[in-house]
Amino acid sequence: MAFQLPTWMALGPTLVLGLTALLLLVFDSIEPDTTNRGLLAGTAALGSLAAVGLSAWYLVAGTGEEPISLYQNTVVVDTMTLFFGLVFASVTALVVVASYDYMRDHSYQAEYYALVMLAATGMTLMAAANSLAVVFVSLELSSLPSFALVAILKKNRGSVEAGLKYFLIGALSSAIFVYGVSLVYGVTGSLLLPEVASGVADTNLTGVLGIGVMMILGGFAYKTASVPFHFWAPEAYEGAPAPVAAFLSSASKAAGFAVAFRVLTVAFPVEELVTGAAGSVDWVLAAQILAVVTMTLGNFAAATQDEVKRMLAYSSIGHAGYVLIALASLSGGSDQFVLAGGMAHLLVYGFMNTGAFLFIALAEYWSVGRTFEDYNGLATKAPFASVAMTVFLFSLAGLPPFGGFMSKYFLFAGAVRAGFWWLAAIGAINSALSLYYYSRVVKAIWIEDPSGDFDIESKPVGLYTAIVAAAVVTVLLLPGFGSVWQFATDAAAALVA
Amino acid sequence: MVPIEYYLLLSAAIFSIGVFGILTRRNALLFLMSVELLLNAANINLVAFSRFHGNLTGQTFSLFTLALAAAEVAVGIGIILVLYRNFKDVDVTEAATMRW
Repeated sequence: MAFQLPTWMALGPTLVLGLTALLLLVFDSIEPDTTNRGLLAGTAALGSLAAVGLSAWYLVAGTGEEPISLYQNTVVVDTMTLFFGLVFASVTALVVVASYDYMRDHSYQAEYYALVMLAATGMTLMAAANSLAVVFVSLELSSLPSFALVAILKKNRGSVEAGLKYFLIGALSSAIFVYGVSLVYGVTGSLLLPEVASGVADTNLTGVLGIGVMMILGGFAYKTASVPFHFWAPEAYEGAPAPVAAFLSSASKAAGFAVAFRVLTVAFPVEELVTGAAGSVDWVLAAQILAVVTMTLGNFAAATQDEVKRMLAYSSIGHAGYVLIALASLSGGSDQFVLAGGMAHLLVYGFMNTGAFLFIALAEYWSVGRTFEDYNGLATKAPFASVAMTVFLFSLAGLPPFGGFMSKYFLFAGAVRAGFWWLAAIGAINSALSLYYYSRVVKAIWIEDPSGDFDIESKPVGLYTAIVAAAVVTVLLLPGFGSVWQFATDAAAALVA
Repeated sequence: MVPIEYYLLLSAAIFSIGVFGILTRRNALLFLMSVELLLNAANINLVAFSRFHGNLTGQTFSLFTLALAAAEVAVGIGIILVLYRNFKDVDVTEAATMRW
């Protein structure tokens, strides 16, 4: 390149998202009672699209190929940071555009968008954290706005209840996480991930270290909605406004995995702790157990639901289980491949799952109802959105002509390559089960006769735009999977090369 | 100097009290106080280990933890306030309109 940007610009996506949040608060303080939804939603959408553009530009330009360390090595920008920055910013853009219609009657517009942007800032920072202190601060920066977002419908009992449960579990698990950090600090004497790794290598306090690592793993399990800290997820996703549920189940989950990938592979190297001579803290085994339990529980619970939104909530737990396979297959000898599989799946999942939840948002906008029966015959009234929803659901199930097939295929292939064929087998069985409950929605929309009259006269532009954009990307990710895979492999190489 | 094990025992005891409080109390405010105990147990560890290792990382991080605990309580109190307005109670088991 002819010119060189200053190194702090590597954090561009994070800075843009954070500044957008502050700008929205400035608008709010100038005119607190503004009803200019277009200005607020537009600012938030522009900010998140700018972050999408910056991440994509950096990725293509190869900014992160040589990791850029900032602020005394506490923050690092490499390909993985940018890859996940792209995921978070895209999901944020979709959610913001959809919220323009969904939150139309809400009285605190600017606060809503500012909270979304702040949470997104925290998520992008999570993907860049190279110190346990930054991990904790960015984790909280993404969690605290999320609590408020879930409970933002102050007069809706479901929303408040969901916010309370999300907050209680979140406060508990972040306290457990920080206690784990304190134990790891006690053993190693540092919070920087590379220094923790060298401290881990020559310690004999494996008992304290083991408890610390397991507590940190618990904090990640909460953020990714995995067993044992998964039970907030169905409540929070069901009670929250649907765009917020989309945001949490896609972006927040991906952020949890991003930070888990980096912390576990960099600070607690598999070759030291699991397979090495002093092998004693087998967190890979813990991840295997969690992966199997999480995907089985998520999929079986999803199969028994009556409400579409709650079914999607459990299916999102199931997907957390699939991605956990990436962590569970480390130590098998093809670490880069399995991690890349996990990351690619999170990117595809970001679009298809956001899209599915935004269709729920559309249904709630039309007051269609919540159960499978309420969706009967929806395609007769809204064929366009129904096609998009069908794409999302089949992609989530992992059927061939969509992006979800490729990412799941590579994820399971990675597990097989690493010698954990049984993980891939359990994953495949669960995917087959998931096809059952996804197709229940498709059947209700397309085949069943309408049970009642739908009162659909409006076509909300924002919601439609977001759903169509998500559907187009989900379809395009099949032919475009080659480049996604390329970036995911580079991102994984930054961790386990 | 007090041996490091004593601090570890103290913090483990405070952590256990906090966990006990979370498991047995139904009042949301008492739940918040129990979470504070958990966070402060971690702070004791951080400060004690900071002295033990002879660097200031742990002490500095404990300041971050204090600030974030305050922020968390601010959001939590807000949520408990709307809980009270909707359910006329701060009992966490009252809010159970959705099945678990």
